[in-house]
Amino acid sequence: MSNETLRARDPEPILRMEQIDKRFPGVHALDHVNFDLLPGEVHVLLGENGAGKSTLMKVLSGSIQSDSGRISILGKEVHNLSPERARELGIGMVYQELSLIPALSVAENIFLGKPHKSRLGGIDWRAMYREAQRSLEDLGLSINPKTEVRRLDVAEQQLTEIARVLTAQPRIVLLDEPTSALSDAERERLFTLIGLLRQRGVGIVYISHRLSEVPLIGQRVTVMRDGKVIGSLAVKDADEPTLVNMMVGRRLTEQFPKEAHAPGRRIFRVESISLKASLHDISLEVREGEILGIFGLMGAGQPELTRAIFGLERRSAGRIWVDEQEVQIHKPSDAIRHGIGLLTRDRRMSLVPALPIPPNVTLANVSQLKMHQRVKLRSEARTASDSVKNLSIHPPSLSRAVMFLSGGNQQKVVVARWLCSHARVLIFDEPTRGIDVGAKAEVFVLMNQLTAGRAGIIMISSEMPEILAMADRILVMRGGRITAEFAAGEATQEKLLRAAS
Amino acid sequence: MSRTPNGSTPLASGGFQRAGREVIARLGPVFALVLLGAFLSFATPHFFKIDNMANITRQSAITAILAVGQTMVILTGGIDLSVGAMAAISASAAAVLMTQRFTVLGLVVGPLNFELGLLVALVIGGLCGLANGLIITRGRIPDFIATLGTLTIFQGVALIITSGLPVPSHLTATELKGYLPTQMIWMGAGDVLGVPVAGIIAVVIVALGWLLLRYLALGRAIFAVGGNREAARVSGINIDRTKVAVYFLSGIIAAIAGFVLAGRMNSSNALMAGEENLRSVAAVVIGGTNLFGGEGGVVGSLIGAFIMGELGNGLNLLNVSAFWQRIVQGFVIILVVVFDQWRRRRLTTSR
Repeated sequence: MSNETLRARDPEPILRMEQIDKRFPGVHALDHVNFDLLPGEVHVLLGENGAGKSTLMKVLSGSIQSDSGRISILGKEVHNLSPERARELGIGMVYQELSLIPALSVAENIFLGKPHKSRLGGIDWRAMYREAQRSLEDLGLSINPKTEVRRLDVAEQQLTEIARVLTAQPRIVLLDEPTSALSDAERERLFTLIGLLRQRGVGIVYISHRLSEVPLIGQRVTVMRDGKVIGSLAVKDADEPTLVNMMVGRRLTEQFPKEAHAPGRRIFRVESISLKASLHDISLEVREGEILGIFGLMGAGQPELTRAIFGLERRSAGRIWVDEQEVQIHKPSDAIRHGIGLLTRDRRMSLVPALPIPPNVTLANVSQLKMHQRVKLRSEARTASDSVKNLSIHPPSLSRAVMFLSGGNQQKVVVARWLCSHARVLIFDEPTRGIDVGAKAEVFVLMNQLTAGRAGIIMISSEMPEILAMADRILVMRGGRITAEFAAGEATQEKLLRAAS
Repeated sequence: MSRTPNGSTPLASGGFQRAGREVIARLGPVFALVLLGAFLSFATPHFFKIDNMANITRQSAITAILAVGQTMVILTGGIDLSVGAMAAISASAAAVLMTQRFTVLGLVVGPLNFELGLLVALVIGGLCGLANGLIITRGRIPDFIATLGTLTIFQGVALIITSGLPVPSHLTATELKGYLPTQMIWMGAGDVLGVPVAGIIAVVIVALGWLLLRYLALGRAIFAVGGNREAARVSGINIDRTKVAVYFLSGIIAAIAGFVLAGRMNSSNALMAGEENLRSVAAVVIGGTNLFGGEGGVVGSLIGAFIMGELGNGLNLLNVSAFWQRIVQGFVIILVVVFDQWRRRRLTTSR
């Protein structure tokens, strides 16, 4: 059967997933999901972070097992998918996180686990480099296949990863947010390639949360939210408002209990901060009771900005004022002393897991003591039990190691630490990453409480809905610079995206 | 997480069970010490005698003292392989100064009295520890390698200082006094009301270490650095300063152990306490401190040191050859750590 007949006369999907169900502790990650894919089709899978898109694709690529449901490929039901089995069945997955080995060459990565053997049983390097070169050229890439992967930039690495998947000549290609690190030109090239694959009858699942890409590439779009499929429709019927509605539902108002507080005095100002190569001339200010949102796509420099402000990395230029007083911040304890607090993007980076709540809560205070000074254990216990009560940390045990707490409660312990250190400028770096919907709402309530108490918050997020709902002002970053500023009312998803990409 | 339906009691039955398990795990080394002692009392009539107990105490005290510094180092996630060498170099240097006359800037000094000798030893121990800490933090090299290197350097310097001979030695012509200060000998071999002084010194140092870890900001920093380096950094803790401090303390404590050891043997030499470099690590680990840092304490290490001492002594009394003793001790260390890892996994998985 040629590809043409396959496409013209045979509407039989190459992939059909029915009633796929998957639970993780505390989360219904996939709720009886149905999904199918036709040959020669680009099926866009749309949804916010945590909607279940990646989980669904991991089930299909065999890296996780569903609890129940059926998967058929070319009309035949398959069982016990493993990554190897999925590859044999012609499923190729390009992961969101790069999975290349940095110290190996591009060619070695492309043919990882299946190197070309010479007749003597050794590796046929010449054949391998030749083949690698060819597959890179297919992608319009001019990378020397002998280059070590770590010498490539992120976009080149991502394209190398795609090249690796394509060498196996898959029938079904899963692309998980492939353009997040790509420039416009590279994205164009990727889209051309996708067109080529379509003509060969390959089916493509394209995961994205960029609405603007949908009409450029897809034929069909399926929207997921909270582990459920909200709906599937043809791209020509899918305008942006419809899709946004499907993606966020009514949650925009329900989920973000934003309370506006009239911003007061300026309490924090940063002028012309630069970090060698990754940040250029960034200035910003925060007022009492204000949430300043900072939005940017991956790699725009948000983590670097946090590190530069907090003294975790040496700035090459820039000045900082707290309460109109210029301050010198060279290390985290300087930042803490001047009332700045940082909620790291990964809670695990902030907590000492084997210690119970009290020492974790007071750590930023204790670090300000001299080594020979005493920690007042009794007042520490009091502070901790107050925090537990005020932030309703559960379980309220003061003797139990914090590693036994849930993600949301761990987050609260970190917040308690900065309340305890009397921080008035709080940097929330991706505050909702990796916590479930209920805990998210609690974090937002907490942010309201903090601003009501006249703290100023810098909220760094790549989640447009939450930043639109919570921030009083939004700065957009791209390539280590600030490219736009919006007041709360005037920002929209489109405007943010346009400024960010 | 044991949340009861009414959501009120964090310590429901599951909580008590867990608390019980934690207590048993904490007391594990104590049980081991007592069980081993009971077994040896039955196996040989010579074990449970006052003299023998004092003997074990004197031997174990050296390891116990060194293990206090070692515990603090290991709690930060480091390791100090040079504790024995620091004990030897500081005690030997002090011993030389306390038995010989020497000229400083044209002034003839010495032999030093006990107090000055002890001061010299503490300064030398402190400097050695400081060197360890600075090499590790400034040189950005692994603790293991740094202290492995300084171990042989300290031994070499100590050999130069003593000319490779025991101090005091009847072989050297420059010898002024043929014996060490009596206070030093008292530290290693004396008794107070029948209790060996060495044991008392060990207990006092363990107590001081316990107070430091529990009440001082440095103690908190030690646990934070070893428990999660990145979190400690983000919370404003100066990691380098904390590490330098623990290595410095380890050096000071080693100097005291050196005095006790030299006092017990009536002489000091450059290569004494060579076994203690690793014995102290074994004591710490047997005592329940996590070799990767962040969990544990000095009291466990004291028990660990006594388990090692009891074991060695018992094997001697049972006429086990010195060759086999090494094998048995090696197995005990491995088994204890295997057990420790197993119970840690149980504690973290059965929530």
